[in-house]
Amino acid sequence: MSENEKKGLSRRQFLGLATGVVGAAALTGLGMKIRWNTKEREIDLDTFTSEETGTDVLVIGGGMAGLFASVKAHDAGAKVHLVSKGRLGSSGQTPFAKGIFVYDEKTASVTLDEFTDLVSKSAINTNNPVYTRQMAIHSKERVNELRDWGFFESPLYHKAFSKPINERNIPVSERIMITHLIKENGRIAGAAGFSIDEAKIHIFKAKSVILCTGAGGFKPNGFPICDLTHDGSIMAYKIGAKITGKEWNDGHSGSQDNPAACYDGWHGMFDRTPSVNGVEVHHDLGMDANYSAYILGNPVSSGPGSQMVEGGPYVPDGFTREMEEMGPPAIDGDQKGPKGPPPGDEDGRGAPPQNNDEGGAPPGMASAASGGASAGMAIHKSEGIVPINEKGESNIPGLYAAGDALGSHMAGGIYTQVGSSLAGSAVQGAIAAEAAAEYVKTVSLQSIPSSSVSAIKEEILAPLKRESGYTPAWVTQTLQGIMIPNFVLYIKKENLMKAALAYIEELRDHHMPMLRASNLHELRLAHETGNMIISAEMKLRASLMRTESRCSHYRLDYPDVDYDNWQAWINIYKGSDGQMKLEKQAFDAWPAQ
Amino acid sequence: MAIKSIDGCIGCGECVKSCPTDVIRLDPKTKKAVITYPEDCQICHLCRMNCPVDAITIDPTKSIPVVVSWG
Repeated sequence: MSENEKKGLSRRQFLGLATGVVGAAALTGLGMKIRWNTKEREIDLDTFTSEETGTDVLVIGGGMAGLFASVKAHDAGAKVHLVSKGRLGSSGQTPFAKGIFVYDEKTASVTLDEFTDLVSKSAINTNNPVYTRQMAIHSKERVNELRDWGFFESPLYHKAFSKPINERNIPVSERIMITHLIKENGRIAGAAGFSIDEAKIHIFKAKSVILCTGAGGFKPNGFPICDLTHDGSIMAYKIGAKITGKEWNDGHSGSQDNPAACYDGWHGMFDRTPSVNGVEVHHDLGMDANYSAYILGNPVSSGPGSQMVEGGPYVPDGFTREMEEMGPPAIDGDQKGPKGPPPGDEDGRGAPPQNNDEGGAPPGMASAASGGASAGMAIHKSEGIVPINEKGESNIPGLYAAGDALGSHMAGGIYTQVGSSLAGSAVQGAIAAEAAAEYVKTVSLQSIPSSSVSAIKEEILAPLKRESGYTPAWVTQTLQGIMIPNFVLYIKKENLMKAALAYIEELRDHHMPMLRASNLHELRLAHETGNMIISAEMKLRASLMRTESRCSHYRLDYPDVDYDNWQAWINIYKGSDGQMKLEKQAFDAWPAQ
Repeated sequence: MAIKSIDGCIGCGECVKSCPTDVIRLDPKTKKAVITYPEDCQICHLCRMNCPVDAITIDPTKSIPVVVSWG
């Protein structure tokens, strides 16, 4: 029964009042709630059921990290269950990454030590060399396994990912959004979420959880990451995990002609089969183009980056590029970015796979560049759960993370090794899995008190239960308007970040508690929007704290690298008072426990 | 509107499963794919690429105005 019906006012009467001459003030005078969101609930709350599943290791996320986490935890003897918001191999960033790095000591031009040093030099020490080296060491084994599964034979990864999963009979639950991690007695006890297809809450009891939930952004328009909203980081933060890397940015740009630049599939790249590449350390995806656009405005004939400007982000010696060849950097592994639009029909229908190895302009270079294609996302693997060791373990016993959900700083605060994102996810997934499989041998499955389960169910369904509130779409667009401008997210200064933070706090305190959903699709959007609000707050607070410029973090008021005070990462955690706290962690140390 | 049309659907549901942002649903009556939430299409092409009968047409523009960092 709706709020109006409860008050003895039929919908017909309500509509008559609302559309007639009686104004909002008069409605309030009648003691009636004004319904900003008039879309009727499309689902009967009484039909919700719940399902409980028990497992040793719960893997959340079905991308490259989730694949290896599942397979390797199974092979190490653990009972595994994989749950994904989308489909195995067809959600997150994995489906769009076409290059994978392999370090082969027989053919590599540099030694492992030299490679790690090269990355550290480009990343101005922001990388964690333990993870940089680990990625290189294990990349070849993971790539060989992928080859056996047929990964390199199709531009679509679902089939190849399903092969090892099906061979091992690992259960997979798709199209379930996990919203909560559950901690009992100081260690992980499971996770909970809901199906986007049916009125069902899912409770997973697990001895260990591996977050392979990817990173996220602010549902930007030029990048296919609108399903990634830092779900893993935010639910881990809420139960006490530390989060790092929020001040870094990913500097991908799109095209002014068509800011929703995924349209051409990055010139047909989405249709290509993946390939491998060797050592090629860059200093990519930084703020150079953003800085040019800030100083010069947006030239009509060509995008920012076409003209040299004084100042701007520092680039270490040996990693500078000529301005002509700079432009928007390439997506992972697309160092040869093919020329021109994809072959096929004008409308993009049935564009055949393309293997253009001739090189040419990277995505967005065909016309003037627009900024913020991937707004809200940081450099791959720089943001996420803080690892306490080289195994992707968090500060919460039983909780692990891998891939872009783990703030391993494998590449650093700038994108260094081409193709390392996909390789790193594979490597970290496997390593976290083996650690989790060992851990589950030492603990038993915990029971989750029914009071905890009830509270979680209430939180999950709250947006559906609200009779009035704000649509997730509107709150998301408001957040985008606050965060995405070049002078807030990228070219930073204190007063504007503080102003933006005031807006974000308003969304957090007043709008997040009033997010309303009328169906399961919107319920997912409501939870995603809440996660983006917390992530925006983290980005602003970390960016305010880092009073220097380095890699993809650029401050107009602190334009230089500060080697005296900032040889450190920033960790964010929830204080005992519930407030967001920030701390420094020295580049050469693991976090304080 | 990003994903523009579905013409010649055979009802296999591959597009529904492969869409990361839950834009497409199968009509419960006709059992054919319907563009249900076009405003959430991210133009990622996975539905088009997964469709076994090339039934899906993609359009370059989004149904909601795009927010960019400079313009």
